[in-house]
Amino acid sequence: MDVLNLLFVNLREAITTWLAGFLPMWAAEAVVHFGVGLILVVIGLLAVMVLTLGERKVIGRAQDRYGPNRWGPWGILTPVADAIKMLTKEDIVPEGADYWVHLLAPMCAIIAAVLIYAVLPFGEGMWGTDLNIGILYIVAIASLGTIAILMAGWSSNNKYSLLGAFRVVAQLISYEIPMLLSIVAVVLLTGSMSMVEIVRQQSVPHLITMPMVFFVYLLAASAELYRTPFDMIEADSELVAGFFTEYSGMKFVMFFMSEYFNLFAMSAIITTLFLAGWRGPILPGYVWFFFKCGVVIFFYWWVRSMMPRIRIDHLLNLAWKFLVPLALVNLMVVGLVDKLIADGIVQDVVLLAANIVVAIVVIGLLAFASRKTRSKRLQRITARR
Amino acid sequence: MFGLGIVKGLWTTGKHFVQSYLGHTGLREGIRPDPTLGGLFTVQYPEEKLPMFPRFRGALMHLRDAETGEPKCTACGLCVRACPNDVIAVDGEGKGRDRKVTAYHYNLARCLFCRLCVEACTFSAIEMSHEYELASYSPDLVWGLEKLLAIGDKYGVHEAGKAWE
Repeated sequence: MDVLNLLFVNLREAITTWLAGFLPMWAAEAVVHFGVGLILVVIGLLAVMVLTLGERKVIGRAQDRYGPNRWGPWGILTPVADAIKMLTKEDIVPEGADYWVHLLAPMCAIIAAVLIYAVLPFGEGMWGTDLNIGILYIVAIASLGTIAILMAGWSSNNKYSLLGAFRVVAQLISYEIPMLLSIVAVVLLTGSMSMVEIVRQQSVPHLITMPMVFFVYLLAASAELYRTPFDMIEADSELVAGFFTEYSGMKFVMFFMSEYFNLFAMSAIITTLFLAGWRGPILPGYVWFFFKCGVVIFFYWWVRSMMPRIRIDHLLNLAWKFLVPLALVNLMVVGLVDKLIADGIVQDVVLLAANIVVAIVVIGLLAFASRKTRSKRLQRITARR
Repeated sequence: MFGLGIVKGLWTTGKHFVQSYLGHTGLREGIRPDPTLGGLFTVQYPEEKLPMFPRFRGALMHLRDAETGEPKCTACGLCVRACPNDVIAVDGEGKGRDRKVTAYHYNLARCLFCRLCVEACTFSAIEMSHEYELASYSPDLVWGLEKLLAIGDKYGVHEAGKAWE
């Protein structure tokens, strides 16, 4: 089993030794590191191909349709056809646009998306680099994407692009706070920011021990990825495209790809933080990792097939009036439990119990609040009559 | 309970997702037999085709006499006069009862499928077929007698207006 589990790690070792035979050690290391970087980008590109097709298929099936099935068996060549179509499109720069910013924005977006892959642990020993501030690095890099979006909206010389970009920035910055607070809860429990260390310490997945933290993170992540129900930014069925209205051809593809790069990266982060990463019985680590990522992504597709989009003010209300307080309460609960009870199975059970209490209180409060607003609305209606 | 609606929605779409694999699939004459039945009922167009309803008006076709196998058209020109769009041109030879059609031009590009030509025909010699895939890469949209007869042979019809009785 260990042979399969460490297959890629051993392969990397073997290649390094082989290269060191006729190259100085530093050069061999450099070549191998370059190769690893290339593989990480290829993983991202493959993820884009699989996810674009898979999303359309899954949502089609959920709506009693077949989804794309024309090109190749079961339509598996559809991404290739998409790529050819996109590559042959004309690249249009609008009149009066800020040419350089307009050109750099999609590059920034995709660079921000690709850089995250450097610290994702795909399996035992399978990572670009094990930074001791891995999760902080991810949060920092992910914010770069916001700047790219603002650049795109600003440089397009189109007021609708700019409005779209403002919306994105409002949404992304609002949702970054509950997301960060959830990450802090995990880091507090683990005592490390390294992605590898977080996985190593999860003998019980954090999904089971702190479901409320997971819930907040899942919601915030879906807003960060502009996925339904928080896809105000793109709103396929209402707006033209939001901030990338003025983009066409390869520049548009870069924004599109960065979205799917981010989707896979975010599912990998969720897997690492809450689903115990590559850990799992029998199968090799990387199989477990990709399986868990797939489950997370499928969940996002599933939600997309069913939820309507929510309004922009509701969106921000949800972030500031619900998710941020809830994330703070979670953080407090996790901190208290971590301080009062020593690590071990007792801590896990107490943490789960505390989370369930928080969940019950939250649902109760929400039900109370909704009943109150409903009765108020009723009073208003009757008063008008 | 608060938030149950989301779970219900997820249950519904999840059920449809599973049913699309396990439920009924394929063409049932283009109609979902029972609205509550799960499964996929999309007609896979180039491979599967819906049957047209009897009075569907597709391209024009010429009919043959059931006994002699000759075209029933006598080149009388009634269809030419009935046509509002100048679609049809016809030529024939012979006099009276012996008159036979020699050339018939049906300009598909101008036809609006009104069936006035068929109603004008006193010899029951033409009828609208169920042909609807009329797009073409080449501009040969003026169909001759042979092609119209071939369509008639394909449908095996000898009397016009059966569906309109």
